Amino acid sequence: MAPSSSIPYAARDTVCVRIRFLRTEGFRLSAIYAGVFALSVVILGVFVLVITNQALRDQIVTFSAADVAAIQNGYASEGIHEAREVINQLMAGSGTSDFYLLQRNGKVVDGNLPAMAERTGTVDITASPVTHNHEVLGVGAFLAPGLYVFSGSGTHRLHAVQAHILNVMLALFAVALLLAVAGGALVSRSFLRRTDAMAKACRDIMNGDMQLRIPVRGTSDELDRLAEAINEMLSRIAALMQNLSQVSNDIAHDLRTPVTHLRHRLERARTDSKTTGEYGAALETAIAKADEILGLFAALLRFAQIEGGARRAAFAPLDLEALLTQMRELFEPVADETGHILQLTVSQGRGLGGAVIRGDRQLLTQLFSNLIENAIVHTPPGTCISLSLAREEGHIVARVSDDGPGVPREEHEKLFRRLYRREASRSQPGYGLGLSLALAIAELHGAKIGIADTSGPGLSVEVCFPVPSEG
Amino acid sequence: MKRLPSGAFVKILLIEDDKETAAHIVYALSGEGHEVTVCHDGAEGLERARAGGHAALIVDRMLPKLDGLSLVRQLRAEANETPVLFLTTMSGLNDRVEGLQAGGDDYLVKPFAFPELLARVHAIARRGTHTQDSEPVRLRAADLEMDLIRRTVHRGGKSIELQAQEFRLLEFLMRNMGRIVTRTMLLENVWDMNFDPRTNIVETHISRLRSKVDRGYGTELIHTVRGAGYSLRAD
Repeated sequence: MAPSSSIPYAARDTVCVRIRFLRTEGFRLSAIYAGVFALSVVILGVFVLVITNQALRDQIVTFSAADVAAIQNGYASEGIHEAREVINQLMAGSGTSDFYLLQRNGKVVDGNLPAMAERTGTVDITASPVTHNHEVLGVGAFLAPGLYVFSGSGTHRLHAVQAHILNVMLALFAVALLLAVAGGALVSRSFLRRTDAMAKACRDIMNGDMQLRIPVRGTSDELDRLAEAINEMLSRIAALMQNLSQVSNDIAHDLRTPVTHLRHRLERARTDSKTTGEYGAALETAIAKADEILGLFAALLRFAQIEGGARRAAFAPLDLEALLTQMRELFEPVADETGHILQLTVSQGRGLGGAVIRGDRQLLTQLFSNLIENAIVHTPPGTCISLSLAREEGHIVARVSDDGPGVPREEHEKLFRRLYRREASRSQPGYGLGLSLALAIAELHGAKIGIADTSGPGLSVEVCFPVPSEG
Repeated sequence: MKRLPSGAFVKILLIEDDKETAAHIVYALSGEGHEVTVCHDGAEGLERARAGGHAALIVDRMLPKLDGLSLVRQLRAEANETPVLFLTTMSGLNDRVEGLQAGGDDYLVKPFAFPELLARVHAIARRGTHTQDSEPVRLRAADLEMDLIRRTVHRGGKSIELQAQEFRLLEFLMRNMGRIVTRTMLLENVWDMNFDPRTNIVETHISRLRSKVDRGYGTELIHTVRGAGYSLRAD
């Protein structure tokens, strides 16, 4: 290939696309398999060549030995005449590559070879014009002292067989290689097609089509499993984004109301205010409105920090009973003023050595403050609010219950939604963040928070803390 | 706005890069008669602070060239004990702890009301002049006396029974005698609450404390400063 720098960009691109499958995992694997197969073909070829060579030479020697034995038999029964007869018969019945010799005291008596050195046993004669330029392999023996006989065959047939075997092996090698490359290309192309489809789907999703999913073949192979995992991740991200945009929408809505009120007040102040006193009062309420908006911001930012989880690093042992006692003392004057009754009951279960958990004091103070303030704000005077702490089935359960009007069961789950406000409480101050913030804080502590199923009146929110493991 | 009872006019160094916030703070503090020098980046601020002569520093957390935390750490490492009030953006949960660990004396979340800023600056500026004092064992305001060791309170010779939280509240007020303490300062220092409760916790606790400490005695010690907070004064 020409150096890449000399290829124009577009052309280089197509080259890249064309040979891209060479870089796929599928192709790499096929190439490795092809290599291993080729190597085994070579080893097998060499083995076959060595074996056939040996077998064919053995065969020549065996045939030659049989010829020599026949000549010996002839000589033994009827003397030199019969031996020559046998040789002539053998020569007549054989091709040009069979050679015979009978010599007495170094002089040729019969046969188609010139006189030669009288070696016995297996004899190898190098190629020469006399042997039609073939190497001859055969057996030599003495019929009687001075009477030497030789029978042999050219080995060129053996070479022909070997060449044939080699050709077959080479053909096999070539076919195997071709199949491996083609198979590898095919496999990697289909692999590429699927990964390309996945990549394309990912890009389309990135470009905004969040409803799109990665195609799944239904074969539950590794690519399918990968695609399913990615799809699950996408669904989760979509759900989170949905949640986020829901919250952003809610925030936009919730902020618009107080900002609009603020604007109204300022506008009215401009037209209606006559005296500095009136201006001052209008500005005072405007500032209060602005503070309300900033408070909402602060609360929302707090969510991000709590959900970030960084506070977990600062967790320390904390006695929930002491905390709830303080909470009762903290809110008792408030409850007293609003006409609520605030009480704390601690039922120490079997072997409860205090209710110590690991947690963040400030955040848990906020959690219980939110629950208690909810009860104070949303129930009429005279309502009894009770804090309780108990150990139940391996959990430390803190409850904030009231005997007020309660909340219909179907609304229980919604209560923990961010910015959710019940119709009945829209006139009350607040942003509908108290319980969802309590939920976030509970989750940070590995605690479960929920509305308890009680047959009695009122609402009971319970927080189940896991008992910290010893040590 | 009602004038805050303030002590002597002091020199304050403000290190804040946001021009509008800086102007806002300068306006508030010079209205009280204080002399404010402004620096707009951390490096310049550190130089000015090293030169000394300030009763308090107001340092923004986020500053160009050198951030506020590093600046104060550097000052403290050089044994410069000028009181520091950190300014921080909204509701950083760890900001307060980080600020105090770096050597800050208090922190204030932006945006803030003027009274909040003034109360905190007065508190730390005054504290700065008394740092050499050993920890007192007794706090006194007119005929009100608090024993910090025995944890008892007497007024006019009569013993007053206080709950733990009431005691801490009164102690904080007495330690800041003559100065204004805001609702937020009380929530942070007495109850360790760094969020705004929806109910009037502070007001009801103050009202309880008043009923025990002030009711039935000739002069009121705990005063409400409208639009700002509370102040315990013996005058």
